[in-house]
Amino acid sequence: MLQEAQNVVSQISGADIATAAKYIAAGICMGIGAIGPAIGEGMAAAHALDGMARQPEMEGALLRTMVLGQAITESTGIYSLLIAIVLLFVI
Amino acid sequence: MLGPIGQKLIAHVSIGSFSFSFDLITIIMSWIVIALLVILALTLRRSLHQDVDEKPNRVQALLDALIDLVKGQLTSSFSSDQLARELFPFIATLFLFILVSNWISIIPYFESPTKDLNVTFSFGLLVFFMSQFFAIRRKGVGKYFKGFIEPYPFMLPLNIVGEIAKPLSHSFRLFGNMFGGAIMLSIMYMFPMTSWIVPIGLNLFYGLFQGMIQAFVFSLLAVAYINVAVET
Repeated sequence: MLQEAQNVVSQISGADIATAAKYIAAGICMGIGAIGPAIGEGMAAAHALDGMARQPEMEGALLRTMVLGQAITESTGIYSLLIAIVLLFVI
Repeated sequence: MLGPIGQKLIAHVSIGSFSFSFDLITIIMSWIVIALLVILALTLRRSLHQDVDEKPNRVQALLDALIDLVKGQLTSSFSSDQLARELFPFIATLFLFILVSNWISIIPYFESPTKDLNVTFSFGLLVFFMSQFFAIRRKGVGKYFKGFIEPYPFMLPLNIVGEIAKPLSHSFRLFGNMFGGAIMLSIMYMFPMTSWIVPIGLNLFYGLFQGMIQAFVFSLLAVAYINVAVET
């Protein structure tokens, strides 16, 4: 039992550990990086909806501003996606 | 398992001591999108020979709706009517090109050109240079450079970095959305259990819905950046 475990351990090379770390890091990066934009975009949509319910005639302007704000909020999520892509495919 | 996702067909051309690399798929798909838009414009133009008094036909109503959308939602955010009139063809072209190149990815074996960072970054640079040009033309060279040391002179590096960051984030946003969608799709296609229904639905979602939203957001941000550069 102990001998088998030692054999398995001796077969793992540094490259294997690096590959595993790469995948884990990409997963963590995307998972944590998606939290912030999700909360931010949800807040933007909620407040825009509040405004639309109060003043339905302002719907067009509110929708445009909401989409613009969400697009800017989204860029942090996009940056973490880029870092995850770099981790997976480039490094 | 993830090997074939990032692969590209690259052509290397060397002229003298310079060597260029081209992504063939992106170039061919961009030309297909351009050809589609030109053919569409030429065929739609034929049905526009009508008097104002006549009832408009279907094609004309469609074009009216499209132009109303771009005018009402995008270029009405400009601060002045003159700027809106000048930049309407630019913004509409940007919107239509990105829209068609996002939508073309729902056809099998076609890839959207906006999946390539080179294409989106050239759009970002285009908008950047347009905004600087209009800012210089509106304010004059002296006031333009004075704008960099406002409100305080020590804010100069901050202002320069802020200007440079705009085209970067602008182009990375479109690229990240399109490329992320493509990666999701190719991962979904790999699993045998989800080989039919899920990829088709996702393809429609990413191609049609996300594509339209991203084209709209890209042109809206172009309007906002040019407006900010001209105003402040």
